[in-house]
Amino acid sequence: MARLIRTEKEVEGRYEEVWIVVEEDALEQWPAGPRRIVGQPAARIDGRERATGQAVYTADLALPGMLHTAVLRSPHPRARVTHLDLAPALALPGVHAAIGPGDIPQLVDECNYQGVAVAAVCADTLAEARAAVRAIDARFDVLEPLLDPDEAVARGHLLAEPRVRSRGDVERGFADADVVVEAEFRTQVVLHNSLETHQAIVEWVGDGVDVNISTQYIWGIRDGVAEGLGLPPDKVRVVCHYMGGGFGSKNSPDDYTFIAAELARRTQRAVKCALTRREEHTAAGNRNATIQRLRIGARSDGTLTAMSGEFVNAVGWGGWSSSTEGPMQMLYACPNVSTTTHGAKLNLPPMKAFRAPGFVEGTFGLEALLDELAAKLDIDPLELRRLNHADQDEVEGRAYSGKNLLECYRRAEAHWNRRHEVRSRSTDVVKRGVGMASQIWYGGGGPPSYAWVRVGSDGRAAVVTAMQDIGTGTRTAMAQIAAEELGIPLDHVTVSLGDSARGPYAAISAGSSTTPSMGPAVRAAAADARRQIDEIAEQRGTPDAPLAEIVALLEDAQILGKGARGPNPTGMQVLTFGVQVVEVAVDVETGEVTVERVAAVHDVGRVINPLGASSQIEGGIIQGIGHTLSEERLHDRVTGRLLTTTLESYRMPTIADVPEIVSELVDEPDPHLTNLGSKGLGEPPIVPIAAAIANAIRDATGADVRRLPISREEMLRALREAAAREKERVGAPARV
Amino acid sequence: MTQLSVNGHDYAVHGDVGTTLAETLRDELALTGTKVACAEGHCGACTVLVDGTPVLSCITLVHTVEGSEVTTIEGLRDHPLVDAFVRTDALQCGFCTPGQIVSAVALVSRTPDPSSDEIKHAMAGNICRCGAYPKIEEAIRTWRD
Amino acid sequence: MLELRRASNLDLGAGTPIHGGTEVVPQLRSGLLRTDTLVDVRSIVPRGVASDRIGAGATLREIEQSGEVPEALRDACRLAASPQLRAMGSLGGNLLQSTRCWYWRLNWPCRLHGGDECFAQAGEHGEHAIFANDYCASAHPSDVAAALVALDATLRTERRELELVDLFRVPTEDDRRATTLEEGELMLDVSLPPVEKSVYLKAMDRKRWAFPIVGVAGARIQGEIRIALAGVAPMPWLLEDGLDTATPLPRNAYKVELAAALVKRARAALA
Repeated sequence: MARLIRTEKEVEGRYEEVWIVVEEDALEQWPAGPRRIVGQPAARIDGRERATGQAVYTADLALPGMLHTAVLRSPHPRARVTHLDLAPALALPGVHAAIGPGDIPQLVDECNYQGVAVAAVCADTLAEARAAVRAIDARFDVLEPLLDPDEAVARGHLLAEPRVRSRGDVERGFADADVVVEAEFRTQVVLHNSLETHQAIVEWVGDGVDVNISTQYIWGIRDGVAEGLGLPPDKVRVVCHYMGGGFGSKNSPDDYTFIAAELARRTQRAVKCALTRREEHTAAGNRNATIQRLRIGARSDGTLTAMSGEFVNAVGWGGWSSSTEGPMQMLYACPNVSTTTHGAKLNLPPMKAFRAPGFVEGTFGLEALLDELAAKLDIDPLELRRLNHADQDEVEGRAYSGKNLLECYRRAEAHWNRRHEVRSRSTDVVKRGVGMASQIWYGGGGPPSYAWVRVGSDGRAAVVTAMQDIGTGTRTAMAQIAAEELGIPLDHVTVSLGDSARGPYAAISAGSSTTPSMGPAVRAAAADARRQIDEIAEQRGTPDAPLAEIVALLEDAQILGKGARGPNPTGMQVLTFGVQVVEVAVDVETGEVTVERVAAVHDVGRVINPLGASSQIEGGIIQGIGHTLSEERLHDRVTGRLLTTTLESYRMPTIADVPEIVSELVDEPDPHLTNLGSKGLGEPPIVPIAAAIANAIRDATGADVRRLPISREEMLRALREAAAREKERVGAPARV
Repeated sequence: MTQLSVNGHDYAVHGDVGTTLAETLRDELALTGTKVACAEGHCGACTVLVDGTPVLSCITLVHTVEGSEVTTIEGLRDHPLVDAFVRTDALQCGFCTPGQIVSAVALVSRTPDPSSDEIKHAMAGNICRCGAYPKIEEAIRTWRD
Repeated sequence: MLELRRASNLDLGAGTPIHGGTEVVPQLRSGLLRTDTLVDVRSIVPRGVASDRIGAGATLREIEQSGEVPEALRDACRLAASPQLRAMGSLGGNLLQSTRCWYWRLNWPCRLHGGDECFAQAGEHGEHAIFANDYCASAHPSDVAAALVALDATLRTERRELELVDLFRVPTEDDRRATTLEEGELMLDVSLPPVEKSVYLKAMDRKRWAFPIVGVAGARIQGEIRIALAGVAPMPWLLEDGLDTATPLPRNAYKVELAAALVKRARAALA
């Protein structure tokens, strides 16, 4: 029986209450441990299409008569368009239409960040469109930009009221402390840099639109486009069969989709609007910079007595102020915690969610400072973390639906115990050390999400749901779940996804939510199909007959199962946990930091595909190494204009930067979460890596790095500071 | 008109001087396995072989490869490296993967049994934002298995 | 309309020479380079690689893989760019590459573009020059050029021979050019004296595929040590007066420290 219930939904650490319709979710979880197919390593079922270049991405799609778009974007962080003449563009060969401010809300003449769209042109070829954009006569009155986050906070130039979160009595907590450490940490702006840039192809078909788009959220695009164009949602068809990376930046339709839609409406042609790499570096979102002023107090036995933090998210002109304070609030048992988070509104491009937004940045500060505390207390960092383990959620007093962080710590011991041997391999010039950091993050997913399963007389099944596979291996995981439940081989299952017209509503692929949101729906649908097959077997008096034998009777008839994602456990906190142990080598003369080994142990509930899961862990760690060591989006400090707009000046890791990575998952189903007990793994691995690297550097050299990226400049600065400190310490008695 | 030989087939292609090999392959010949991710020679997604050498098709002018043999991912579909990449899960979103495989083919054709250092040196021009690198290395190490 | 001409003799005529195209094509497409005519010089530039003479048409990959050339040159090639760029790019093109200064690359109206300001000086100059940076703070990005300067290479063009270091110049108010190559002049090869020992050390942001923050080339030739640096001045920098004469900007003093460490190591390797 269908029920309408009100439940909590969390995406990227932000909660909202939603109404959902659920069927009875009576399926028991499978017992823990690998099964016939679920829990066994599986190569991607769509691997060959992707590897051979047969998979058609939005970037590869050319529709008949399709026009190409180029966009005039503000070159200035703050400016007013004083004159705009599209006529010279329209006069050029191949040009079909041009639009500017006033035509659609996404095109503006008040420019508050570099890269905001001002005008757009579509033409037969991309080269013609670009030439036409260059021909637009646009004049800007350049205004003074606001670039300094602290100044924005002082002036109250914020995206929202400061977020103050407090428990206990922090003053007293610090008074009770034997040791207090404090420091300021800074993190930089980093860019998602999906290799397929943001793009869409829009075509008006009848009284609706078809939108081919590189997206993480087919249904979000459908609703966003419908709202923007004033169409009923079912008049918007959204298609994304393959997409080339998103990392949080492709959750919404954005300017390019609406530009393509308007140009398509005017020309009655299919219109593609694709960002160039340089546009991607300005107008496609980013992980915002932060400033974190942190303080931790503890008794001499290591018990935390108080923590406080002032966090400034340098958000840019739009987006939201993410939960940079989250780790300080949530990671440890500490009775007295107070945080204030400001979202500085600056004349810089808007942030977007980027793989555990806020928690990546906040964990760097918190976990690096915790190791400074461990050093002061002379307590082993792993021991300090165990000592302050939170047995229940401290923020709202909720029970955890499942938490195996202590088990993660136990499994990390073997890696942590290598530190003496690692240090002993230091030389005068190359110092080696080991550091660790803990991980806390969401990843429980939630309703609604739906799937259908179709079984034919050949004993093969198709999973049908209008979800997307952003490269995490979703198709494969869903096929495994269906095959497991139906009791058929994995290669007897196909997965049809990527089209809002061909399947039910499916969750966003963000917030580590795809598997925990969609997996239970797929299992429920497969179970529904299985139940029908069992009923037929029962009716025929052969209750134990194999599935193939029963469905073989179907001829053209089909068994159709449907399934829905049930609600999350009421009043419980659903989170993921983990710990990473990093080994580094630091050349103390050149400041070169080499990450040599990373051991990652995470607790994300049941593992569906251990092979794909290890790939997610490796990928998160490598992206985190880039964040920690080499990536930074720079803007000119005078004008605010962006400087690192190419993949040469913005340096993401190559294969040569990759350490040995050892990954392990606790693989214990979350007993309260859905019929699977699975949580998401897309984000957890990137959360602790920066702090673990910083802590390994301290272990190796005694230097405190406080700023990302840990460039040569930052590393040499920290080493000089440590040397001066050491000189003062050693030098002082000499004067006596 | 320019004469172009791609994957063993001869084509007469259009395109003004200044057209890149990647544009010709993708837009004129519809060989979209070759991806373009930066269009300025920085990321390796567009890697193809020209007379067996890995080059960046996004910054190669099509008129300068007349008389050469161009090999794209479409010409390498039966290469054992494709299966090795799939078997080892050496791809995530897959957008960089054709370029990775083309570079890997060039490597193993000269060095059939490359060391880890040789792999890292030869593959450093192919950016994978998903970070499939450990398994790319594994795929190349075990491509003949 | 752009035209491509294939050069058949050393008289190039008007136009922009193109060899590997790794610098010409991106600059053409991003609007940094404007020309009506490209002259494909691949068939007329020598490309042999020997211990004492290297054709300007040799690719970096060919030099990297040669067992003949001095170690500093081989390692400079090995650590330069990406595998594909090394396979495409020629020695001559590498020597003529433009700075990676982001202001210049983004076409800000800086002094190298004929303007009257160096934006890096008051802006973001963490990767910029620590020597000869008072007019233009751009850093010369070529590992190979630094190696060849240290190796005391001689450049031969179709019209003259010159010390390789004299191919380069620090831009001035009166002459903004970064090289001394004349219109239509074609580099043919570089020759090297007998080298006893040589080394190239490079600090970069990634383990591979990045331009040098600091590159240090060292060579011992007839008992004399020559040190040249990449990434520290608007031209490959022959280190004659040590590092004390460096004039770092507010946010790139770390480069002096870094250079000192690498120079010390280079000297030790040559001892």
